[in-house]
Amino acid sequence: MHPFSFTRARTIDAALAAGARGGRYLAGGTTLVDLMRETVERPSSVVDINDLPLHEISSTSSGLRIGALARMSDVGAHPAVRTRYPAIAQALELSASAQLRNAASIGGNLMQRTRCTYFRDVSASCNKREPGTGCAALHGHNRTHAILGTSEACVAAHPSDLAVALLALDAVIHLRSRAGARSVPVANFLLRPGTTPEREHDIRPGELITAVDVPAAAHTRTSGYLKVRDRQSYEFALTSAAVALHIEEDVIRSARVAVGGVATVPWRLPAVEHRLLGARPSRQLWVDAAAKAADGARSLRHNAFKAELLRRTVARQLGTVGGRK
Amino acid sequence: MTPSAVGAPVSRVDGHAKVTGAATYAAEFEAPRLVHAVMVSSTIGLGRVTGIDTRAARAQQGVLEILSHLNAPELPYRDFRTSIDPPVGERLHVLQDNRVRFFGQPIAVVIAETLETARHAAGLVEVTYAAEQPSTELATSRARPLVPAGEQGNYSRGDVDAALRTAHRVVDRKYRMVRESHNPMEPHATVARWEGDTLTLWDKTQWVQSTAPQIAAVFGLPKSAVRVISPYVGGAFGSALRAWPHVTLAAMAARHVGRPVKLVLTRKQMFSGTGYRAAVDQRIALASDRNGRLTGLVHEARAETSRYEQHQDAVLELARVLYSVPNVRASYRLIPLDVPTPTFARGPGRTPAAFAIESALDELAYELRMDPIELRLRNEPARDESTGRPFSTRRLRECFSVGAQKFGWERRNPRVRSTRDGHWLIGTGVATACYHTLRGAARALARIDADGSATVSSATSDMGPGTYTSMSQVASDGLGVAMSKVRFRLGDSHLPLAPSHGGSQTMASVGSAVQDACDKLREAAIALAVADPQSPLHGADPQQVRVRGGRLFLRSAPHRGETYERLLRRQRRTHLEASGTYTPGEEVDRYSSYAYGAVFAEVAVDESLGLVRVRRLLSAFDAGRIISPKLAHSQAIGGMVGGIGMALLEHSVTDHRDGRLVNAGMADYLVPVNADVPEVDALYLNGEDKTADPIGVKGLGEVTIVGVAPAIANAVHHATGRRVQNLPITLESVL
Repeated sequence: MHPFSFTRARTIDAALAAGARGGRYLAGGTTLVDLMRETVERPSSVVDINDLPLHEISSTSSGLRIGALARMSDVGAHPAVRTRYPAIAQALELSASAQLRNAASIGGNLMQRTRCTYFRDVSASCNKREPGTGCAALHGHNRTHAILGTSEACVAAHPSDLAVALLALDAVIHLRSRAGARSVPVANFLLRPGTTPEREHDIRPGELITAVDVPAAAHTRTSGYLKVRDRQSYEFALTSAAVALHIEEDVIRSARVAVGGVATVPWRLPAVEHRLLGARPSRQLWVDAAAKAADGARSLRHNAFKAELLRRTVARQLGTVGGRK
Repeated sequence: MTPSAVGAPVSRVDGHAKVTGAATYAAEFEAPRLVHAVMVSSTIGLGRVTGIDTRAARAQQGVLEILSHLNAPELPYRDFRTSIDPPVGERLHVLQDNRVRFFGQPIAVVIAETLETARHAAGLVEVTYAAEQPSTELATSRARPLVPAGEQGNYSRGDVDAALRTAHRVVDRKYRMVRESHNPMEPHATVARWEGDTLTLWDKTQWVQSTAPQIAAVFGLPKSAVRVISPYVGGAFGSALRAWPHVTLAAMAARHVGRPVKLVLTRKQMFSGTGYRAAVDQRIALASDRNGRLTGLVHEARAETSRYEQHQDAVLELARVLYSVPNVRASYRLIPLDVPTPTFARGPGRTPAAFAIESALDELAYELRMDPIELRLRNEPARDESTGRPFSTRRLRECFSVGAQKFGWERRNPRVRSTRDGHWLIGTGVATACYHTLRGAARALARIDADGSATVSSATSDMGPGTYTSMSQVASDGLGVAMSKVRFRLGDSHLPLAPSHGGSQTMASVGSAVQDACDKLREAAIALAVADPQSPLHGADPQQVRVRGGRLFLRSAPHRGETYERLLRRQRRTHLEASGTYTPGEEVDRYSSYAYGAVFAEVAVDESLGLVRVRRLLSAFDAGRIISPKLAHSQAIGGMVGGIGMALLEHSVTDHRDGRLVNAGMADYLVPVNADVPEVDALYLNGEDKTADPIGVKGLGEVTIVGVAPAIANAVHHATGRRVQNLPITLESVL
């Protein structure tokens, strides 16, 4: 760990001022501290923001607002989240371990960095960690890596379960800096690697995530999250699917499908959604729609299984949420 | 009458100390003026160090020294080899030259006032290399295979080729098992302190009496100059049997800076610095007649080792002794690679062998349309067919019968894919477990003090099985004093002789010595009492005197007696003590002694998503006498959970381009978590094996992991119809 200065911000203004001077925000610390220990992250200044008034979770008729400092465990246990946005509660409960969920914040969850082990090993080449050094994973051990949204520069999978559910439910992220406030849809907030894999978020220097909004919609109540992984707990997804369906009079009126574990960012599946929209739920429909789930996939040496696994994961979760299993 | 302590389900005597943090582990020892050392590890897999720039590291305030091959003292590295060290080759001579032999090799050590400074400075050391292409992959290596000496390398009886030609059925399959790391919870750590030319090491070790002379040999010191202290070990599974290079580095650093040094390995450094279970490729060919009698067995194994040492496991033992087979041919080859030396890992040799043999047997059972248990029972040998010796005890049949009954085996529909539960296919499987009863010479010292308390000691270890507790139980019965009055001491090389705390030999060896010491001490006390005119027992026949609850009394007249305390006070003695011994005798050569088990697994497989989940695991063990049932059970289910890890999850992944381990951490090297471990249970046949050793045990720790992986793989076959011959059984292998 490299030496750094540590301060605690008591107000949002104080935090933003420290952020403007280059301070890195620290909430749960479950990503940043690990990476600092491995010297992947070397901030010179760390600002503890846990005292800021950003912990609130509120649900109204227009939607759900989650404060950026709300803990994963608190959000997952919130009655309104569990009944009106079950995909979010399930994604949270299937994340990490109970101890980590107690510590980790929602804002931090969206800022967490990839589990690519080459990224986390400072002796390996990694364009995300050190632009221009090459991607060790591209021809290395890449069983857990992405098959969608990759580039020659980076094939690291995005690790968040929550972000997949938020993407499916069209969530919006609220940001603040000394220059003012702005809002960015989750879909635009997380960036594909392209030729600049070191840029992972649409976030500006000193900007702080203050809240996440999830708009209310008929489909959020009938939503769910499926996570497929090597062990039954405390492990990242090989594939996952967040599905939300609004079915009325045996017709799918709205459909939201996003997947995780397979892409460099949480991955929305518009072609699958399109196939579902206006159709009558059936076992065959789930399989037909899911057939498009891995379109455009480019597999690597050790993760060719993910394309078929993804189609099956989506089909299974469509059946779970939409019935007619 | 006080019930016997042996056989009672007592809790860990050191449990309170462990859960309250009072138990001191290696990394927790402190000494005045102690400083910290952190290793710098190579980031190439083969080649030479061409330069080490320490300027930035040395500029850090608090850095005392940075040692590398450029400035490290030359060490004598006198010849030293125990049963744990590979029989061929020479241990890594740390910081003695510029060669890099494997990725992650220690190439420098930073010594600083604080751990934080040492860690930071270690990251600032700039190393340049002349890298070469390492060869680290067992399957593709073109290295000339090395042949272990004797029956370890080649074994044959009868004419197996003829048996294969004339067999009713032949099953001929290949099996692959990847490298695993031991991953005990406690990190390896050493605190080294010199006083003149004598060295004290507080170390994580399963064998204080090997570490001490080993480090003495490395530094060219007399054996008596090194003392090793290791009162608690937080798991090891074999990783702490040898003294690895970091122990030498800690001692080297401490001598160099003239202050005590603490060196704690990171989790990542443990993957390349403390051994591992070698990857092994195997072939099994089974020949049988139409009744399921085995007529031939071919077992071929190839395992990885380092270029500088030939670590050997007893991979061929099961082929020689487990079943009745007239014709056997077995061979074991080592493939030298640019990797660190592997070492013994729980159930060494027999665990990979059992995966191959027990998987092939299951397949044969299906070909013969025979119940897999029946097939095994039809091949029960009457004696050890490799030596002709009788078994001291062998109750494998009973293991299968009591296990099958408890598991509900008779309800099984043998047809594959016959049971469903929603998305899940359900299957059950069995396998045999077997592990040699190892015994080694041991001594123990028993002492009773004038306050009536007892202290018994031997230089053994307690890496988790509960040595403190089980030895206290033996001593409690032997001395006739309450458990609460007994203190057992271990983990100090100055204590009486003990063999390595590995190979399941501790209770057989040290336990027998403790029993002998306590018997002698009790008899000495009785002799004192009956000879003492002031004793109520004066003149009594010593054979008629019993001791219970610290009181000596006449069997026929229990009111006639006195306590140890009274006897010693009247005799004006501060204490009584006696030394006990155990030496393996001719029984080791006259009898074939093994612990056995029958392992039953139930799995659920979601074929669509590739998920394999263990639903139930049950083993029935023939391990001789069970001294400490509660801790034995803890030991057993722990070993079985290790077997789940082997079957489904564990894999130290190497990037063969440069020899780097890519998942060297607990986030990426997967072991079972609670959610992966459902109902795990074990049964133990009542009985004892006093032919094997005086205390009547056959060892339990090792045998508990043998047979688990094939039982699970066989259950996966029963569920799905699919044979998985490579471990771990990954999601993609059943998709």
